[in-house]
Amino acid sequence: MLKYIGERLLAMFITLAIILTLVFCMIRMMPGGIYDELEDITQEQLDALYAKHNLDKPILVQFGIFIKNVVTDWDWGYSLKLQPNQTVWGILGDKIPITIYENIFSLMISIPLGIGFGILAAIKKNTWIDHVISVMVVICISVPSFVFASLLQYFIGFKLGLFPIVYEPGSTGFAMFYSMTLPIVALALNPIATITRYLRAELAETINSDFMLLARTKGLTEAQATVRHGIRNSILPILSTLVALFTNIMSGSLVIESIFSIPGMGGLMIKSINAIDYNVTQATLVFYSLISLGSILLCDLLYGVVDPRVRVGGKKE
Amino acid sequence: MKIFTPDAPEYQSVDTSKLVLVQMDETISDTKFEGKPIGFFKDAAIRFCRNKGSLIAFFVILVMIILAIFGPNFNDYGYNEQNGDIKDLPPKVPGLCKIGIMDGTRWMEGRQLYYDPNTGAGIYLDETKSLDRVSEKYAGCILKVEETGEVIAGKEMCRVKIDYYKYVGLDDDTYFWFGTDYLGRDLWTRLWRGARISLIIAFVSTFANVAIGLVYGAIAGYYGGWVDMVLMRITEIIAAIPQIVIVTLFMLYFGAGLTSIIFALLIQNWIGTARMIRTQFYRYKGYEYVLAARTLGVKDFALIFKHILPNSIGPIITRAMIAIPSAIFTESFLAYLGLGVQAPDTSMGILLSDGQKSLMQYPYKVWCPAIVISLLMIAFNMLANGLRDAFDPTQRGV
Repeated sequence: MLKYIGERLLAMFITLAIILTLVFCMIRMMPGGIYDELEDITQEQLDALYAKHNLDKPILVQFGIFIKNVVTDWDWGYSLKLQPNQTVWGILGDKIPITIYENIFSLMISIPLGIGFGILAAIKKNTWIDHVISVMVVICISVPSFVFASLLQYFIGFKLGLFPIVYEPGSTGFAMFYSMTLPIVALALNPIATITRYLRAELAETINSDFMLLARTKGLTEAQATVRHGIRNSILPILSTLVALFTNIMSGSLVIESIFSIPGMGGLMIKSINAIDYNVTQATLVFYSLISLGSILLCDLLYGVVDPRVRVGGKKE
Repeated sequence: MKIFTPDAPEYQSVDTSKLVLVQMDETISDTKFEGKPIGFFKDAAIRFCRNKGSLIAFFVILVMIILAIFGPNFNDYGYNEQNGDIKDLPPKVPGLCKIGIMDGTRWMEGRQLYYDPNTGAGIYLDETKSLDRVSEKYAGCILKVEETGEVIAGKEMCRVKIDYYKYVGLDDDTYFWFGTDYLGRDLWTRLWRGARISLIIAFVSTFANVAIGLVYGAIAGYYGGWVDMVLMRITEIIAAIPQIVIVTLFMLYFGAGLTSIIFALLIQNWIGTARMIRTQFYRYKGYEYVLAARTLGVKDFALIFKHILPNSIGPIITRAMIAIPSAIFTESFLAYLGLGVQAPDTSMGILLSDGQKSLMQYPYKVWCPAIVISLLMIAFNMLANGLRDAFDPTQRGV
């Protein structure tokens, strides 16, 4: 097991190194200079700016300096234009927790709700409850999260005034979650629907299997049989979709954050892209890669823990 | 059934010379099959048509495509015809405006109740509160005044419902069906032009994605061994990079625009198709009929494309149908990131993200594209489900 984790971590590290190199080089090879719109600037000042951020050196040399700084001092460089002269790590440090809270919370509310609706739909298969849930599933899977975000923001937030329409900066504890309710709901609808759809299909199949018949024959009630035998066997495939769901939420949160003015990584990434801030953009992209790779690894490990039939580290046949 | 035998007692009285064979003069041969033979596609089409939901979805998509092609020409406004005087007009549709929806009116909040000659703001000229005695700016276009009771800086406030088209000085028979945007451009024209661009992006990228995935997966699956190993490692490396990162990088490097969006969508999406085709090839390449064909000297190329690939036609079509809505989604997503198609051209994502900026003031700017994109996504997903059920009934309901 340890050997397997080690191998996976090594593979992840190599992938991350490739991504880092790609990101670093491609961002710097972008067309257009970064200080183009500063017109009242002398050539000397421009040269000084370039020299300060090592932009006057060849890309590979820049990359070497960058890697050296990151490894020795955990120094991700300075923001070039977004918040000039602030360290990138300092900017990111404030934003990462907000984004993580938001994403984890949407995932946490979507798993139980998705499982609940999935079970309900499977047990009540082909009744009106099932049909209503199926229609909702199709809608929630199809309609993009930013459309839901606009709907919630306008009707629940603006017309009814139940929740704040934008995030209140600086709030903590309950107030923070209260002002984050709408974005969390907007992000959670799609995962809820996805989990419901998978679980319904799996459970509907499991309910008809022989061991469920046995469970009922030996005297378990319908509920006992479903909860103890049915769900346990159908929940596994959900696990493999969790990674996809989490990456889905992550990319959705990019847009949702800017709609609800949440000062998180998504908004930062959009701003840094539009402002052409090399250092901040590359740091946000590396952050998203890390999250995505990490969740894939975690899920693979979890799979082996939950289902002993999956031999972790087993070779493919 | 009783059979005639000359010896049986009950037939003794029958005159045998009168008996004739029934089919004496007919030629007896095999009859033709009743009904028509049903091939693979016909079978699928029958199953598809039985599914009401996907049939409706199919027609919704058809209508959307027709509107996307011809919609911009339904009125005389150009998609980039700017006019600062008529910006932010609310929707007004002939017919519907008689019954009070989409009638080109708007509530204006926080207006002063009484006219103040110094600032030029305010509505009523005097205390009579008659609609005939209002300030020049609002003359003739006020439909309703509602006093809010608020007093700000000693001035009584109110909200007014006005005919916005008259307010900006347009005739009664000027209609902007979906209103205008912040530059005074007609949103109906822009919406369908945007839908056209989004659909072009979706169809082209999906077509290319299927084409590349098909050839790649077929080669990997058919040849197997080290070819498969190398090809699959390459896809693993590309797939390991998160999609947001690779798409953003691609767009940053090649700049925003139609072609670069299509390529950015393509860069990872073909991998799923390739993997699916590869699995199909592993399944079918060991069949006897393939062996028979090979024994007869059929070339690899023909084996791949004529003998094995047609087996996967169902999953390929289904997959393409799933890829289209996800392409539309990614395009809008990129537009929100500021990496969409370039102005003045537009797309669903650009319209949505532009409208989002003034959602509280002009919500109709978001609702029109939001409804169209949602309908398109729902319809394509339902169509994909229906097609999957039609091509592979064993998968029904999954």
